Amino acid sequence: MSQPVGIVADIERSSTHDGPGMRTVVFLKGCPLHCVWCHNPECIDPRPQELFYPDKCIGCKRCAEGCYTGARVICGRKMTVADVMREVDADRGYYGREGGLTVSGGEPLMQREFTLALLREAKARGIGTAVETSMIYWDEEIFRACDLVMFDVKLPDDERHKRWTGVPFAPIRANILRLAGLGVPMLARTPVVPGVNADAATIGEIAAFLRDIPAVYKYELLSYHPLGVAKQRALGQPETQFEIPSKQLMEELKQYAFLR
Amino acid sequence: MLSYADRLASMRETKIKHTLQKREQNGFTDLDDFGTVPLPEGYEVLPWYNSENGSFYGFEGMAENFCRVLDAHPAYVDPMEMLCGRWRDMLVNYRGDVHYMPDWMKKNPKLRDFVAGGEVTAQWSKRWDEKRFPYDDLKPLQKKYNIATGIDGDAHFACDYRIGLSLGFGGLIEKIEKYRKINVGKDDFYDAELTCIHAMLRFIDRHIAEITRQLETESRLEIRESLEKMRTVCENIRLGAPKTFHEACQWVAFFNCFARIYTRDGAGFQLDTILLPYYEADVAAGILDDETAKFLIADLLLIDPHYYQISGVDADDNDITNHLSYLILDAADSINISCNLTVRVHENCDPEFLTLAVKYLFKNQNGWPRFCGDKALLEGYMKNSPDIDKATARERIAVGCNWMCVPGREFPMNDTVKINIAKVLEQAIIDLRAEGGEPSLARLYELWEAHLTKAAEVVAAGVNLHLDHIGEVTPELIMNLMFKNSIERGEDASKCAELYTIGCDGAGLAVVADSLAAIETRIETEHVVTWEQLFAALDDDFADERLRAIMKSVPKYCSGGSVADRWAKTLTDSYVRIIRGVKMPNGRMLVPGWFSWARSIEYGKAVGATPNGRRSGEPISHGANPNPGFRVDSAVTAQANGIAAVQPGYGNTAPLQLEFDPKIAADEGGIEAVCQLIREHFRQGGTLININILNGEKLLEAHKNPMSHPDHVVRVTGFTAYFASLTPGFRQLVVNRFLEGI
Repeated sequence: MSQPVGIVADIERSSTHDGPGMRTVVFLKGCPLHCVWCHNPECIDPRPQELFYPDKCIGCKRCAEGCYTGARVICGRKMTVADVMREVDADRGYYGREGGLTVSGGEPLMQREFTLALLREAKARGIGTAVETSMIYWDEEIFRACDLVMFDVKLPDDERHKRWTGVPFAPIRANILRLAGLGVPMLARTPVVPGVNADAATIGEIAAFLRDIPAVYKYELLSYHPLGVAKQRALGQPETQFEIPSKQLMEELKQYAFLR
Repeated sequence: MLSYADRLASMRETKIKHTLQKREQNGFTDLDDFGTVPLPEGYEVLPWYNSENGSFYGFEGMAENFCRVLDAHPAYVDPMEMLCGRWRDMLVNYRGDVHYMPDWMKKNPKLRDFVAGGEVTAQWSKRWDEKRFPYDDLKPLQKKYNIATGIDGDAHFACDYRIGLSLGFGGLIEKIEKYRKINVGKDDFYDAELTCIHAMLRFIDRHIAEITRQLETESRLEIRESLEKMRTVCENIRLGAPKTFHEACQWVAFFNCFARIYTRDGAGFQLDTILLPYYEADVAAGILDDETAKFLIADLLLIDPHYYQISGVDADDNDITNHLSYLILDAADSINISCNLTVRVHENCDPEFLTLAVKYLFKNQNGWPRFCGDKALLEGYMKNSPDIDKATARERIAVGCNWMCVPGREFPMNDTVKINIAKVLEQAIIDLRAEGGEPSLARLYELWEAHLTKAAEVVAAGVNLHLDHIGEVTPELIMNLMFKNSIERGEDASKCAELYTIGCDGAGLAVVADSLAAIETRIETEHVVTWEQLFAALDDDFADERLRAIMKSVPKYCSGGSVADRWAKTLTDSYVRIIRGVKMPNGRMLVPGWFSWARSIEYGKAVGATPNGRRSGEPISHGANPNPGFRVDSAVTAQANGIAAVQPGYGNTAPLQLEFDPKIAADEGGIEAVCQLIREHFRQGGTLININILNGEKLLEAHKNPMSHPDHVVRVTGFTAYFASLTPGFRQLVVNRFLEGI
């Protein structure tokens, strides 16, 4: 049987922001959600794409012979599990008890065969495993292959969730509750986006929902950042920018983001 | 009533004030802070010159001028402190040391004329007695390979403080008199040593007098009590060996001032074990509590940012971390200045201690502590000779900027000898072009190795000259006092050391590795560039931006599994083989390391464009670190792996220099992740880790206006410095390193 092949957007080593400890994060292409504030817009389309950064272009007009300045970059390369594991393995000594592999995206469950094979291979090598998912899909095999599932709760109601992400909250909510029964540790997060969900009532409602799920051991608020805008521009897409929440606002909202 | 916390706050304020004043007096400097205090109004030294070339050398010249400079030093007593004494000026300045000469000296017409007059060496002006010990034959090749020769470099070895602490100044005088009688005909040596000690006693006496003067007007009861104690301590250790923890700290503080004033000399020691007997005895006697011990250590660290090692293991691999080790970390936290503490990491070390050390690193963001790896240092050093046993190798501790030394037994000249291997590559390319015919990477590498061999031979010749004569030029009159066999034989430390394992660092590893990888990839594998195009680009400094981008975009050293990573390993193997292959007399040997110190700008200026797309005159790479942009994610783990793979392996360092965002510690498990990074790098064979926690906003603000954060400390290379005191060029380099994530 041939090895599953994934379309990988990027691999980031030494990450301390995508789960506990030191981690290697594999970003996969493809996501069914269209969050307006998405900071990885290059990971939405499942196919490889070219990004163009004009500030890096030296105007040599020899693009066809290859771009070496970083102005034209292809996002999305085919990789086998072995290809990815070479990178993941390089850091195994640094993962310790808490760190390891995080499969992220995009929505990693969109490439379910590849994601599952990666997680299982990492587990077999004694490397900690995690996914960062929107919870739009239910996939028990994948969740059972994880030591940790990280997921977002962006908005607590169908109407607003659909308006801002393209999908309702109900299936996500159902999957989160179902996952709670598997006994896998769950880490919940909300990207705080002014004008979308940066208010006490919304955060409070999300926290209240999460509070009843014992497997959710931590709830984090992540400040919106506009890193996706430059990438939208590089993709030739319309730019959507939001206000960056102030430190004060984040501190205020944290008071409502308690679990128990 | 003033608490210790109040007094520490005042001491920190004074330190900031001094940093600003020193910046005014000295100008910008890319050097260690050294703990100096500003010069007083009217300070002047009239040097005594005893050489034909207008400088001073030898036992008599050094001893006399040490007295003149030390005697010009007024007492320094801050009633907020419990220890006294500071240094401000050093006698080698008066030999026209252009490298260290501060602005206030350059403005002095007498000294300016002195520096400008007569024959001078390119490197150190008149520090070396070139009339008696010329080396004109070596200079062309030293220049050709951009070699830091080590000739006339001072110190860079370590004292065995146990000798001084057990004898005191009185005991040292008796020891000198005893051996003078045994070693007939060495009066010059013993006279010079005695002259220096008497100047030291006068310095202590001035402090006793100053304390007495301050007591006449001091009305705060707790400060009166503190000053009286300080005076008693000074009186007790004037001649006697220190008996209490307070006395031991004061004795060290004084000795460090003397060694610094002499030639900026000296190095630290294993702080938590050498001071432990004093601590334990005082606690048992009920005369010392932990708060006072912490305050005394904080004061000692304030007085001089010497490099002290803490924690580690003994000769049998047992953890030596003790209660005092913890107190030292807490003390450093309480004063939080440029504390050069190195934690020695071993698999048997106390994990709680390592965690606390990393916590303080992130909490204070001042570049301390740093970490050294026992395994590679121990095993590597033992490889130098079958005569080096495990106990000796373990005694070789972190006491310098990037370097290790066996205190009181080794004369390593560490950090004074360097070869710019990017310059060596430049010479190899010149030869390759001159040969005509079809160039090849294999031939270029042969030429690089041939040039490096010549460079190593020139280094060895320079080191031999230095070792043969430095005792006649700059005898180590202060450090000899605590160097095994020196007083016993009437010989300078440079003559009587048991170990001559001489550090020889290569600089520019990443530039050369990336250059060779760019040639292999673009010219020989992909054929997208020709040799002719490369040579033309080196000549016109990469006028063709596209060609530059092609060469620059080849995966770099430390990107992980790249062609450049392979070349870095090959270069290391060659460097080690060639440096180790140099034959030297009298048990001397060269020990390879990768380190550029603060010379990456200076070395870069000497090298034209290089095949990795680096333009002429741009800085070379920093120590063993990769070039900027080595990975898009700037992965510290990839960097740690890359640097672990290029360790020369003989007990000298190829440091891992990291810049971290302070936010890492805010994440859950961030501290543990860094601890794991440290442990794993050392497990893979790493030797030294320097970590800066750089807050981007603060750094950019301080770069724009250095005086806005006068207390901000950065670990520049192995050493720490106040960011505000660095030259604009070096500040820019630190900023770039931060922005590039290396």
